[in-house]
Amino acid sequence: MSNAPAHTPLEETPVPGAKRVIIRTVAMKKIYQRGEEITHALRGVDVEIYTGEFIVVMGPSGSGKSTFFNMIGALDSPSEGRVFIDEVDVAQLTAEELAFLRCRKIGYIFQSYNLIQYMTALENVTTPMAFGGVTPDEARTRGMDLLELVGLKERWFHRPIEMSGGQQQRVAIARALANNPSVLLCDEPTANLDHHTGDEILGILQRLNKERGVTIICATHDHRMMNICDRLMWIRDGGIERIARRDEVEVEVGAID
Amino acid sequence: MKRIDVQEQPVLSPGRIFQIAVTGVKYRLFRAVVTVAVIVVAMAFLMNILTESLIKRAVAESVRDQIEEMHRVDRWIARLSMPQTAEEILEGLAEEVRRTLPDEPADEEVEAALQDASPYLRELTAMSGYGMDEILALQPVAREAIQYLRFFDNLDYGRRRVLVGPVESTQIFDRLQSERAWHHFTSNLADMRTVRFPFPLEEFQAFIERWDELETLVSKVRDGQSRAIAAIQATLGEQPVVEALRDADGAFGDTLREAGFALTPETASLLAVEVERLDYTLLIEGTINIHGVRQAVAARRDILPGDVTMQMIWQMLRSREGAEWFIGVMHESELATRGLTAERLEEIASQRAHARLLAIAERQTREAGGGLMGIGTRMTWLAFVSMLVCAVGIANAMLMSVTERFREIATLKCLGALDAFIMSVFLIEAALLGLVGGLGGALAGLLLATTRMAVTFRSLLWPALPWAEILIAGLISLAVGIVLAAISAVYPSFRAARLAPMEAMRIE
Repeated sequence: MSNAPAHTPLEETPVPGAKRVIIRTVAMKKIYQRGEEITHALRGVDVEIYTGEFIVVMGPSGSGKSTFFNMIGALDSPSEGRVFIDEVDVAQLTAEELAFLRCRKIGYIFQSYNLIQYMTALENVTTPMAFGGVTPDEARTRGMDLLELVGLKERWFHRPIEMSGGQQQRVAIARALANNPSVLLCDEPTANLDHHTGDEILGILQRLNKERGVTIICATHDHRMMNICDRLMWIRDGGIERIARRDEVEVEVGAID
Repeated sequence: MKRIDVQEQPVLSPGRIFQIAVTGVKYRLFRAVVTVAVIVVAMAFLMNILTESLIKRAVAESVRDQIEEMHRVDRWIARLSMPQTAEEILEGLAEEVRRTLPDEPADEEVEAALQDASPYLRELTAMSGYGMDEILALQPVAREAIQYLRFFDNLDYGRRRVLVGPVESTQIFDRLQSERAWHHFTSNLADMRTVRFPFPLEEFQAFIERWDELETLVSKVRDGQSRAIAAIQATLGEQPVVEALRDADGAFGDTLREAGFALTPETASLLAVEVERLDYTLLIEGTINIHGVRQAVAARRDILPGDVTMQMIWQMLRSREGAEWFIGVMHESELATRGLTAERLEEIASQRAHARLLAIAERQTREAGGGLMGIGTRMTWLAFVSMLVCAVGIANAMLMSVTERFREIATLKCLGALDAFIMSVFLIEAALLGLVGGLGGALAGLLLATTRMAVTFRSLLWPALPWAEILIAGLISLAVGIVLAAISAVYPSFRAARLAPMEAMRIE
């Protein structure tokens, strides 16, 4: 990132309160066609997500939640409509530019961690930096800092197989942060973890959001997320059912409970 | 609102890609053991046939002279019973290249050529009555004749019959003298699409016109040889030629030289020694039918007299102690030893073992050469098929590896890896497997081939072992292994590189 330090979210976070759109979708549709069978995974989604937001996306399986995630993560392109990430139309990008975008603008956190099995924790964290052209020495320093941030500095030489699920997910978070992304996309980050470790992960995510101003978009069924998020989004049948701020929802949850 | 620019992802340096690939291979090498084994087997096969053919060729080269010597007595017995065939004479004439004379030689030059000429050329002059200059002038024609004879020899009977009728060897040239036969030959050759005459037809025609001269020489040589043989037979009377040859370095040798045969003093003494050895060999082989000898050998070996074989006796004679003992037994049985000493007997026994080995080597190396690197066309084909099978095996293993690692690949792409990076990693991985497999295969093949060849050629092998060529064969196997693995991995790598990054999101 030496060539574009001004673009890191931390350094250019505008005046608090003056939020800008980081992800915007316009009439985003996705249609899968398998033979005669046509599936409308998304039926026109319009969303704006702002910098520094913590958004929780909820929805039953088959609701189009994964497709929505692939679209805003620049992993797939919509059949109709457009997706803007940082005001860049994803559909206009070449393969190399997409790789650039995935490498620096978005951090991915997966349900099953997806660490590279044959690499140590540090190597896992520094791999995206290598792809981004960071020198090995600098990558090492930054990698250790990130591991310290998630509390695994002492275990940098461990391989994924030698670590618990929670530790693996923490390495995955450090890896996602490798190139100072603007957005963290988390796909069910706590689903494979027990209650206590899940809390730890949530704590780290919350801290990143509050202290570093990282935008976090999180698909989850975990109700603890509701307590730390800014907004909630429900997806059903390929469309947005509802978007609400947390304070609007807490009342209802309280009422239901 | 400030727009954030998007640039192209930088391409990683080859060194960095290699480093990452090696990290992965180190972790997975054990799992890739089957792939490596496939490569090892295929490369071992390749290395084995390469090494074997190289060894056979080297052994054939190194024992050619010894084999030639082995047949010396037989050849002379044959020469003293009938004249040589036209082909033999032509070959002898064509091969003896010592000195070519200028077009108009002076007498001294002819004299010098005669002195310098090989014994066989001198024999040709003696037998035919031709001068050395005439003989040397015909030498190039004889060389041509050999070429054409090889061509007709290699044709199958049917095709040869269509071209030149039911004749063989030099008769073909006689037949082609007639206008009709020549016309028949050329028109049929033009019609036959499967036969290509590898020489210019005009040259062949010129040769056919000159054949008469050569033919005259050949028949004169044959006449001379027949006369010489008749004369020698007359002096021998009832005595067999073999027995007479025992005196090859004495009076009988002089008789042969007088009759015109090219017998050098060196050949003569070698012949005498060999005939003597043959005599002694026959003497020893005769003893097995003597009751006393059989009994003694059986007692010494602690077996039944009926189980005693000649092989056993020869084996025993190869030690000095055994030879001395056997001579003693012969004396006890009151057999004539004809001056045979234990020392000589031991020598004869070991020479006989060596001759048997040479006979094996001659049989084994008869078909050496031909095809790619002298491994024979059939073996070339087999090697090619085995490479193909190996390539399919590697491709399959790599495809499985891609399927197994689709999540890893997709994750790497999520982290910003370019397609070219993924492809390079898989190709490097395959090439490394190829390197390991090629090394193992080259070693295994070398070991197998040398063991097999050592069993066949025994003591003939070690001095002839062509180390430099074997090293080259090893490097070839290694290179083939690497290239084969890399080529087989192209499609699997391409599949890996094209994997969609969103596969990483999928849950098992």
